[in-house]
Amino acid sequence: MSFLELSGIQKSFGPVQVVHDFDMTIEKGEFVSFLGPSGCGKTTVLRMIAGFETPSGGTIRINGKNQESLKPNQRNIGMVFQAYALFPNMTVHDNVAFGLKIAGMNKAAVDARVKEMLGLIHLGHLADRFPYQMSGGQQQRVALARALAPKPQVLLLDEPLSALDAKIRVSLREEIRMIQQQLGITTVFVTHDQEEALSISDRIVVMNSGRADQIGTPFDIYNKPATRFVASFVGTLNLIEATVVDPASNRISIGDQAITLREPLGPVKAGDTVSLALRPEAGSIAESAKGDTALTGQVVSSNFLGSVIRTRMKVGDPVISFDMFNAPGLSPPAVGDVVTLRFTASDLLIIRE
Amino acid sequence: MKTQKIGAWIAVLFGASYFIIPLIATFEFSLRMRRGEYSFDAYRSVFADVQFRESFSYSIVMAILTIVFGVLLVVPTAYWVRLRLPQMRPFVEFITLMPLVIPAIVIVFGYLRLYNSSSFIPFTGSARGTDLLLMFSFMTLSLPYMYRSVDTAMRTIDVATLTEAAQSLGASWPTIMFKCIFPNVMSGVLSGAFITFAIVIGEFTMPSLLNRPAFGPYLQLIGANRAYEPPALAIIAFAITWASMALLQLVSRFSKSAPSKP
Amino acid sequence: MSAKQAIDFRKTAIDWLGILPFLLFAVMFLIAPTLYLVTGAFLNPAGEFTFDNISGLFTDKILASYWISIRVSLASSLGGAFIGFFLAWAVVLGGLPSWIRSSLLTFSGVASNFAGVPLAFAFLATLGRTGLVTLLLRDWFGINLYATGFNLLSFIGLTITYMYFQIPLMVLIITPALDGLKKEWREAAEILGATNTQYWMKVALPILFPSILGTTLLLFANAFGAIATAYSLTGSTFNIVPIQLYAQIRGDVLHNPNLGYALALGMIVITGISNLIYIWLRMRAERWQK
Ligand SMILES: Nc1ncnc2c1ncn2[C@@H]1O[C@H](COP(=O)(O)OP(=O)(O)O)[C@@H](O)[C@H]1O
Ligand SMILES: [Mg+2]
Repeated sequence: MSFLELSGIQKSFGPVQVVHDFDMTIEKGEFVSFLGPSGCGKTTVLRMIAGFETPSGGTIRINGKNQESLKPNQRNIGMVFQAYALFPNMTVHDNVAFGLKIAGMNKAAVDARVKEMLGLIHLGHLADRFPYQMSGGQQQRVALARALAPKPQVLLLDEPLSALDAKIRVSLREEIRMIQQQLGITTVFVTHDQEEALSISDRIVVMNSGRADQIGTPFDIYNKPATRFVASFVGTLNLIEATVVDPASNRISIGDQAITLREPLGPVKAGDTVSLALRPEAGSIAESAKGDTALTGQVVSSNFLGSVIRTRMKVGDPVISFDMFNAPGLSPPAVGDVVTLRFTASDLLIIRE
Repeated sequence: MKTQKIGAWIAVLFGASYFIIPLIATFEFSLRMRRGEYSFDAYRSVFADVQFRESFSYSIVMAILTIVFGVLLVVPTAYWVRLRLPQMRPFVEFITLMPLVIPAIVIVFGYLRLYNSSSFIPFTGSARGTDLLLMFSFMTLSLPYMYRSVDTAMRTIDVATLTEAAQSLGASWPTIMFKCIFPNVMSGVLSGAFITFAIVIGEFTMPSLLNRPAFGPYLQLIGANRAYEPPALAIIAFAITWASMALLQLVSRFSKSAPSKP
Repeated sequence: MSAKQAIDFRKTAIDWLGILPFLLFAVMFLIAPTLYLVTGAFLNPAGEFTFDNISGLFTDKILASYWISIRVSLASSLGGAFIGFFLAWAVVLGGLPSWIRSSLLTFSGVASNFAGVPLAFAFLATLGRTGLVTLLLRDWFGINLYATGFNLLSFIGLTITYMYFQIPLMVLIITPALDGLKKEWREAAEILGATNTQYWMKVALPILFPSILGTTLLLFANAFGAIATAYSLTGSTFNIVPIQLYAQIRGDVLHNPNLGYALALGMIVITGISNLIYIWLRMRAERWQK
């Protein structure tokens, strides 16, 4: 039995259904991210777990217990909001102590726990500050400590990093992950930033219009996108339209260049269109590059992105991007050059909707 | 949250009764002049009264003068403070709030002692001088509101850039003031003007103690001597206040949607 | 003085020249009159320094007028703040249709400016001896209001009348403060285990407290300085301080001009202190609401 179980969750606001048949099980101590574009229903699912919204259908169980009749203040859940939501009238110490005092803990125990939590987020020296005297990153760390102080069974984070600067976003997400692993707390993390989700999650749920399109490890989500939506939303995958040449021998053509796929094409006939995905880092145009498959095209753009150079080439109609690592002495292809990209046929994934 | 909603309805119903019942009662009372039936006699009697017309026109003229001179004092000051003396803003704001702190009756008491006929600025020595002093006292009363609305309007425009642009085109100070600044803070000026109008029309203390025939003292006099005209006057006064506030709302709503042109 | 200093000096001088009209106005019509009264309060008729005027305030009659003024102002500001707060709460957080909110705010804008003489007329027509409500209570419910000891020309009557502009003023000032309560604060408290009552006692009310207390003080000062309503309601029979001062200005009823100055000084001190605390609390509240 899993620790947090969502089965058949539905949610409608008036006539509009925003969550459809959402199923998900999360193990104790697992870190799961809900990833998807804005408005796809991530927050709504999170708020149903917290008890702020009532599902229109389905059940939510935590540690085997149906949460239906429980109000948010009876669920023992910790939550961190995008806009920090620290109580402005309380010091850092009092913010973190809030849940403990509500729980009726004695003063000495409260103080000890607050000290421990502030130590965890390295803000022990700011215990007497008020929220308006702190930076956004510091406030969000306090919010995390406040949520964790009463030892909740589940921690929910709703885009906790979206309001912060890029630098702090990266360091804080690592800190969150470290603390989560240290405490072994079951965590649901909502984000629309795929890099964020890929970097810190045990598993990712990619959401699309109120449905879970794919649930899997970051590795699976990135390398084996199950749907066209996942492929296009996660990473910078190339989505290529190809025409079937011969289903029996797995031959297809991309911009008139025929190649053979490793994966069986399935029930299609010659002339059908299939969608293929290719990661930009899968191939190379170097002379020495290995690979059983090659596509030749004309370079339409070449962008220097720091550690990599991303080049786009036109193979007939489709445009394919590929990355090469930046190295001194490397001469990037120029626009108009004709180049040949070599890769392994098994890197080409067939996307079935 | 059923109980919460019921509580909210109770609060609103109570508030609505508190606000509306006196208005209905006043209106009903104002219709009672003719025995045994409702009539608008009280209103007729009010409008036929020469003193009503005289005091009302006097107050309107005063209100207009107060607005004009108030705007001429406040707009350049607010502009200059933003442009050249930003460090003085807290001080200037404090001064403009003083009329809220010091009761009107105290202020006018000071005027009567400082500017009486035997002082070296004998405002109250003549009727015209007293009118002038009364206008200044109205300006004082409306200063907090006028300054605030103008300053708020000025916050939305960049006075420094606007001024530099005008100067680079060779505009003189009066041109900058009247062609650039005024049109851009018009919404604030109008808001301030309507509040000033409402204040001046109803003000009792200052004209009463300065012995000028304004609308406020006239109302008080009627109240002490008549029975049915006062409620009619109260309804008229309420309508005037309502109109001023409606115009004010209209102006602020209009200026929010209209982009300010340089 | 170098040339640069001279230019700087001229620039500063011009800067100051720009607000000279304003400064002149402030000195002539705000500062000088006030200072005149304040210094006058500490002088005897011969122009010598004295505390006699201040101690002269501590006579039964003057103390009684301060006391009744303070009571009326306190009662009407507390009542206005209390009712105004619930009205604002109802339209902001009570889940009512939104047209109620806009109507209430518009009406409050008007009613908070509907004071002075006409307000007295309105309440005479409502709760006076032949007012509509008085008559209806008598005819429909058989209650003779004036036999119960009620009198519009009294402490309670004046308090009810003042609340007609105090309530809307509270609504206008406290509504933005209630709007400033973030939904996340309630949810954060709730998810940490707090009940609705605990949220209000430990989070919402402490956050609102500076605004509520500050506005109450503003209402207090507002009522304390008001004269027109009371004067036309009660004539000079009801001895609140502004009416006493009015009579003194008119006819030196205290037979001592400098005692009049002290009376005015007392008013400035009371309204001044409440306003200063209001401004200070307001700054605190704004700091939190950032
Ligand atoms: N209280 C509500 N009432 C009506 N519609 C809502 C409400 N909350 C969210 N929605 C709608 O539900 C959809 C999903 O919202 P949300 O869960 O906030 O998305 P996300 O967090 O993924 O950006 C959106 O289209 C939003 O407009
Ligand atoms: Mg969201």
